[in-house]
Amino acid sequence: MRQLPPDPGAAEDTGRDPDLASLLARVACGDHQAFEQVYSELAGPVYGVVRQVLRDPAQSEEIAQEVLLEIWRTASRFDPGRGSAAAWSLTIAHRRAVDRVRSENAGSRRELKAAPDLSGVDEDVVEVVAARLDQQRVRRCLGSLTDLQRESIKLAYYGGYSYPEVAQLLGVALGTVKTRIRDGMIRMRDCLGVDW
Amino acid sequence: MKTPHRSAGPDDLHVLTGSYALDALAGPEREAFERHLQHCASCDAEVRGLREAAARLAMARAVEPPDRMRQRVLAATYRTRQLPPALDERLSRRASIVRLVHPAGRRTAPARHPHLPRAIAAAVGAAAAAAIAFGVVSQVTAPLRPPAAISSVLGARDAQTETMRTAGGGTVTVTVSWDQREAVVTTAGLSSLPSARVYQLWVMSPAGISPVQARSAGLLRSGPVLASAIRPGDRIGITVEPAGGTAQPTTKPVVTMTLPV
Repeated sequence: MRQLPPDPGAAEDTGRDPDLASLLARVACGDHQAFEQVYSELAGPVYGVVRQVLRDPAQSEEIAQEVLLEIWRTASRFDPGRGSAAAWSLTIAHRRAVDRVRSENAGSRRELKAAPDLSGVDEDVVEVVAARLDQQRVRRCLGSLTDLQRESIKLAYYGGYSYPEVAQLLGVALGTVKTRIRDGMIRMRDCLGVDW
Repeated sequence: MKTPHRSAGPDDLHVLTGSYALDALAGPEREAFERHLQHCASCDAEVRGLREAAARLAMARAVEPPDRMRQRVLAATYRTRQLPPALDERLSRRASIVRLVHPAGRRTAPARHPHLPRAIAAAVGAAAAAAIAFGVVSQVTAPLRPPAAISSVLGARDAQTETMRTAGGGTVTVTVSWDQREAVVTTAGLSSLPSARVYQLWVMSPAGISPVQARSAGLLRSGPVLASAIRPGDRIGITVEPAGGTAQPTTKPVVTMTLPV
């Protein structure tokens, strides 16, 4: 299987994150100023991913606030030996958004007839300028996947669907979706040059 | 989908690393996989790598949140207690000494985690050593907490917040509680001053009343400053003054703002 070389620009990111990790260590000591900097770094990605999944602006704002406060509250639990500060924070954000979707759908099963539009959030939002570089890399790496890998990943992550829901949306077997998501994410990891 | 309820063996579970990293496992399956993760080091390592990749998917969709969110979250931190570090059983005896001295007491030893900021590790270590040497057991460096009055304003039911840019860059944010007749002022990104100068906060009489009366509400350093006994129509102003502050403003304010009513 052909693999793309790691993105040459990816190395810059590792310079950005240790900073966030040391800020989180200060936040764990109750440093409000450090938290303001953490907020500046993370509010955009946190709000962006929550809104991507939930769509509703008011609900997204509420969840994003909860997530950022959770980062303040649990900063002492961040372990820099187990991953980047950004991944730690965005894992909290994405999971919180997905849990909200699932709890709302618990009563009424979500309509799974047509795949939703995952092209991006509505026109009225202002993208974070610093995200453009990430966008280019992610787009390039997503482009290197098979169609099924790419669609499965986008539905699962941006759409907040469980893999059985993804299987139903795409009309493929459960086992197929599981393996395509994993294979696709491994290729994304290698293409993006993340190192953990 | 022929046998969806077939009991899953370890190999089947390993395939779930991708779905787990994307939060695409629902309820029971997520819990089962998390139990599996505790005993499967290779799954755990793979999940961590895939989560880093998933984080990039999130960062690529970053959008500007509404401005009001910032102040709400920052205000909420002043009334939200933080979790203590999770202590490793093996390290807990040593760590508890550190924790008494410095709430930073992190459970991880620097050697195990090269990413742990060295300065903090060193500070904690030094503080622990000093505490042991001098028999100090109280908190030497407690986290900076605002006086109760500040958190009371930030948490007030009638709290109103307004943010304004200053002439020289940066912003000033004011949260007012008219029930308490107090305001909390914070600044961010003000241009830095030579060491002989400080920013001083004033409560000023309403615009249009001359001569302007101003009383000092204190020097603006890093933390929030409380302005008391405010009256509707009052303005706040920030001036650059000689170190130590002055009794009356001696320069033109870099910003003035009428308190939100």
